[in-house]
Amino acid sequence: MKKHSKIFFTAILLQLLAITAFSQAEKNNLSLSISYFNSNNHIQYLVAHAKSKIDGKFKMIPNINLSFYIGTEDAANLLGKAVTNDKGDALIFIPPNAKEEWKKSSKVSFVIVSQKTKEFDEAKGNVDITKAKIQIDTLADKKITATLLELKDTVWTPVKAVDVKFAIKRLDADLNVAETPTYATDSLGVASADFKRDSLPGDSKGNLTLIAKVEDNDSYGNLSSEKIVPWGKSIKYYTEFDKRTLFAKRGKSPIWLELLAYSIVIAVWGVLIYLIGQIKKMKKLGLN
Amino acid sequence: MESLAKEQIIKDLLPQKFGKAGKIWVGILLAFCTLGVIAYILQLKNGLVVTAMRDYVSWGIYISNFVFFVAISLVGSLITAVLRLTQAKWSTPLTRIAEIIAVSAITFASIIIVVDMGRPDRFYNLFIHGRLQSPIVWDVIVITTYFFVSILLLYFPLLPDMAIMMQRKDQTGMLWLNKLYAYLGKFWKNTAAQIHISEKAINILSITIIPVAFAIHTVTSWLFATTYRPGWDSTNFGAYFISGAFLVGAGAVVVAMFVFRKAYHLENYIKDDHFDKMGKVLVLLALLYLYFNVNEFLVPAFKMKKSEEEHLMGLFTGEFAYVFWFAISTAMLIPIFILIQKKGRKPLPAFIAGLLVVIGSWFKRYLIVTPTLLHPFLPMHDVPESYKHYFPTWQEWAIAMGSLAGALLVVTFFARIFPIIPIQETITEMEGHEMSHKNV
Repeated sequence: MKKHSKIFFTAILLQLLAITAFSQAEKNNLSLSISYFNSNNHIQYLVAHAKSKIDGKFKMIPNINLSFYIGTEDAANLLGKAVTNDKGDALIFIPPNAKEEWKKSSKVSFVIVSQKTKEFDEAKGNVDITKAKIQIDTLADKKITATLLELKDTVWTPVKAVDVKFAIKRLDADLNVAETPTYATDSLGVASADFKRDSLPGDSKGNLTLIAKVEDNDSYGNLSSEKIVPWGKSIKYYTEFDKRTLFAKRGKSPIWLELLAYSIVIAVWGVLIYLIGQIKKMKKLGLN
Repeated sequence: MESLAKEQIIKDLLPQKFGKAGKIWVGILLAFCTLGVIAYILQLKNGLVVTAMRDYVSWGIYISNFVFFVAISLVGSLITAVLRLTQAKWSTPLTRIAEIIAVSAITFASIIIVVDMGRPDRFYNLFIHGRLQSPIVWDVIVITTYFFVSILLLYFPLLPDMAIMMQRKDQTGMLWLNKLYAYLGKFWKNTAAQIHISEKAINILSITIIPVAFAIHTVTSWLFATTYRPGWDSTNFGAYFISGAFLVGAGAVVVAMFVFRKAYHLENYIKDDHFDKMGKVLVLLALLYLYFNVNEFLVPAFKMKKSEEEHLMGLFTGEFAYVFWFAISTAMLIPIFILIQKKGRKPLPAFIAGLLVVIGSWFKRYLIVTPTLLHPFLPMHDVPESYKHYFPTWQEWAIAMGSLAGALLVVTFFARIFPIIPIQETITEMEGHEMSHKNV
């Protein structure tokens, strides 16, 4: 009897352990990371990425509430809150009220903290960046230059050996200005490239938007600077919106279709109306 | 002698009251219609969710039924117009059968489209916001036009018969029927001027109905062919639909010929020769439709484009193989085999062949609509597994069967009210026949 009760209690214990282990295993680890962006040296924003390894594969996690901080995780340093989208990304612009904290040093830290959910425990992520800026310019013969500077104490200093990408902004993605995608900065912090995309369609004035960017740099994050140049081909865009087309709204069908359709309808219904007239004629003949 | 024969024709062809079998037949049809109405009330109450139609198959058996009805309605133009214009006098006893099938089918084609709408109360939007560029609007226009042309083509040849029926008020036995005949044809006095106008009108209608009938079925085919999907993306579709429509329509006429001949003892009017001739017409049409089927399936199968492979293999050997081969066999192969033989064109085997054509053609329409919807070029993501298959719910079956019963009910009641074989035309032809004999 004693032996049986021992076995029974051991089984119960094992069962409880299994349940506890299972309930712990149910929650996956949430991995958070941040990217810093500085666009045209005056729009700074942060993009957080939430992902988790589920069934051996990394999946982007939507609907995670994130708090963004500058410096340390203090309520006073809160930049804002955002929720991750379907791609697991959440974006916030660095607000003006973070100015004091931003100015404190040439290096800045950003921290993100996620709220605990049913699926995930609280998680944190952070990024440290050195303040930097990139300036794009053009020279004769369609030469493009970019100067990369970093803030050391209070002085903007050139940075060498950093890859800079020169591209032209297009509708869906950026197009490299030449075959070579990236150019390294020299000791003056300058990288240069030749514009090799002649006859590229621009706007109605032939304007193209050039962009110089540093991407995913460990120290500086993502920097970009743009400049509009009249190096493209002038294109007059023709839109068929609200014109008479097969795909237009009601009342905007092509004239040829209206003529064709209405003439057929009028011809056939003309015959039918004529025949109804004939019935009336027969009625008259019969009733008189 | 002549007047006796004339009296006999009138006596034989006047509408007759339903016998016991007729009453049972009407009862069965009414039961199906009632069930269909109940199912439709449920659909109206709960929405289209009571059907098996989901994001993939948004056109189920309702639209298959619609295409079937439109197809069968084409018979009106075949028998009435084509055979009339080609001076095929033998078709006279069949014209009214063909026309009432056409009117009844086109009526239920319109009804079933409304049934397919989730919110029929918004039907008027089609007229308010309909775009001329859309084949759906063209379909509404041609269906309405075809309905009116068919009604007129039914009405004009009925006028002399209504005059005959009014002369025999005592035989009809019902006051309201006499009132109906008077309302529709009291003015008909059989004068030369009236006959001239009527014949001219029938000729005009016979010519008009052919392009309208071609248009209705071509436009219906364009509802599919203008959509970029495997199985529908075809330049062959207009001709393919028309040939199939002629086939099922002719099959329906053979079935109706047999039933009316049996039910009303019309052996002297719908003769074995009619079955023989319609049998030959059916063989020709079945061969023609088979030819279009070969084009429609064999050519894409020869290329077997990746995007169409799943759809084609689903038909040949997959999920729809049984239905596909059943439809091909019953709508074309077996009827050809039966009717190509002289003894196969006797009334009973011709009736069986006609019935097979009609049944096979219904399933053929189902195959045109559904499998394609299950295999779009761009499959949807994250849809429930059940959305990727389609089998109609009882409500869909009840409504579809109810609409078929409704169409048969219209034909049945028409035959009760009006002569199913034109009396005056039969008399005129008999008189003409006798005159030519005398002259010889």
